[in-house]
Amino acid sequence: MLGDATKILQGILTELRRMPAVLGATIARRDGILIAHALPKTMDPKKIAAMAAAIVGTSEMAVVEMGLGAFNSSIVDTHIGKMIATGAGEEAILVTMVRNDANMGLLLLSVDKAVQSIAEILKAAEVAA
Amino acid sequence: MQSPPKAMTPRAKTGIPVLDERLQGGFPRPSTLLLFSDKPTEKRLFGENFAIQGVKAGETCLYVDFFRAPQLARGELKRFGPADPSKLVLVDATSSQLLLPSREKYHIDNIDSLATIREAILAAMEAEQPGRIVVDSMEFLVDRFPKEDVLRLWRELIEAARAARTVICFLFINWTLMERELDEIRAMSDFVIEFQSSLRGGIIRNSMRISQMESNGIRTNWIPYTFRDLVGLTVYFPRILVTGPFNAGKSTVVKAVSEKSISIDRMGTTVAFDYGNVNITGIEAEVFGTPGQERFEFIFKIFAREVSGVLLVVDASHPDELVRARQMLDLVGPRIPYVVLANKSDLPGAIPPEEIAHRMNLADDVPVIPTVATENRGVRDALLILAEMIIGVR
Repeated sequence: MLGDATKILQGILTELRRMPAVLGATIARRDGILIAHALPKTMDPKKIAAMAAAIVGTSEMAVVEMGLGAFNSSIVDTHIGKMIATGAGEEAILVTMVRNDANMGLLLLSVDKAVQSIAEILKAAEVAA
Repeated sequence: MQSPPKAMTPRAKTGIPVLDERLQGGFPRPSTLLLFSDKPTEKRLFGENFAIQGVKAGETCLYVDFFRAPQLARGELKRFGPADPSKLVLVDATSSQLLLPSREKYHIDNIDSLATIREAILAAMEAEQPGRIVVDSMEFLVDRFPKEDVLRLWRELIEAARAARTVICFLFINWTLMERELDEIRAMSDFVIEFQSSLRGGIIRNSMRISQMESNGIRTNWIPYTFRDLVGLTVYFPRILVTGPFNAGKSTVVKAVSEKSISIDRMGTTVAFDYGNVNITGIEAEVFGTPGQERFEFIFKIFAREVSGVLLVVDASHPDELVRARQMLDLVGPRIPYVVLANKSDLPGAIPPEEIAHRMNLADDVPVIPTVATENRGVRDALLILAEMIIGVR
């Protein structure tokens, strides 16, 4: 069952990765442990998982401090592209890296869908375990 | 010799507990202080703080102000909180220069005459019997009069203060004097308090250090300080790092030691940092807790800069993590004062502090304090010990 969950998660990442302008995607636990990734070989997936967890953790606390309501995602903008770190259920985050020429509307829609599936899969896997 | 006037403690407190402790209760009476810098630096704050602390302790304080109109000076001194204005005696040196009548009891009517200046100050000292005297500041005189005459006046004031068993405090920034004359001025003083400011990344950091001009007198390291409204001068450590291996209790230490704290933790582990603001007995500090797990080492590197001191937290019941603790210490760099907190010392299997010191191969002078952070035991002591180490004394 757990093996199946990992396979499904990997499938979600592969699908995201197939979208134009997407450079890579990762699923990490909120405490920074890597769950699954579809990243280019030049990136260290463990490091990225930890860093994304720190960004999401800090962002979440910052919005609470600022009274901005519930956290959805952190977007980091660079001259090459963007990093989108989105909460996926209680325990996970989805990190998507895209080039600046991406169709952001379409992309965010896909990320939203992916995040919902990830949350459901992880919850189901937990219940099963 | 006269004994100090009543309502005066034998020592003049600075109001900064860690310093007063070093000074065995404050500056002795009588004594002469030199507040010195060779660049324009915030010295007045210390002088003002010293005067107001005296007023708050019920002493009369004489403040000789060559630069500010008394109304302005009194207004600015209100920042230090409520203090009896009648106990704060100003010697007004500006009204006569502006051709205005002075509203103060003591005033210098002719600023071009050193004799008039001398008489006005001595008359105020004689009549008020102040517990503390602040002269703000001597470079005003050195700039205007022959240096031999100024040095003579300087000595006369010191003698008068000594006879009255009071503490006299001279602010002085050196523009023109040679090293030889400076040495003479230092030798006339019992304590020299040096000031320096640095600007790094848009933030001004002020610090001071005290040295006693006796052969075996006390001497401190540079002490960073800041000003807090209504409180006055406060020792301020801009960054105390709380670090240590995974699950040692770093976040709990930050929480236990701080008034306000925030922790960015997920699933029981710190993923970014813990932050707390400490405010105890005249010390203010910003405390940063780092994550312990190796995958967050990049966070550690962000916070391990410009560190004043380190609280290294280890789990006394997990001695196998001590190697990692040692590694983390090396990441901070050499020559930064640190204290080891032997945390969870109430748990079964906790090894004693001596054993931890031995296993970590610590130098003999590194304090290892047993703590129980969840019950706030020993944590504050560890921070105070660290503060004393940073301030330093020889």
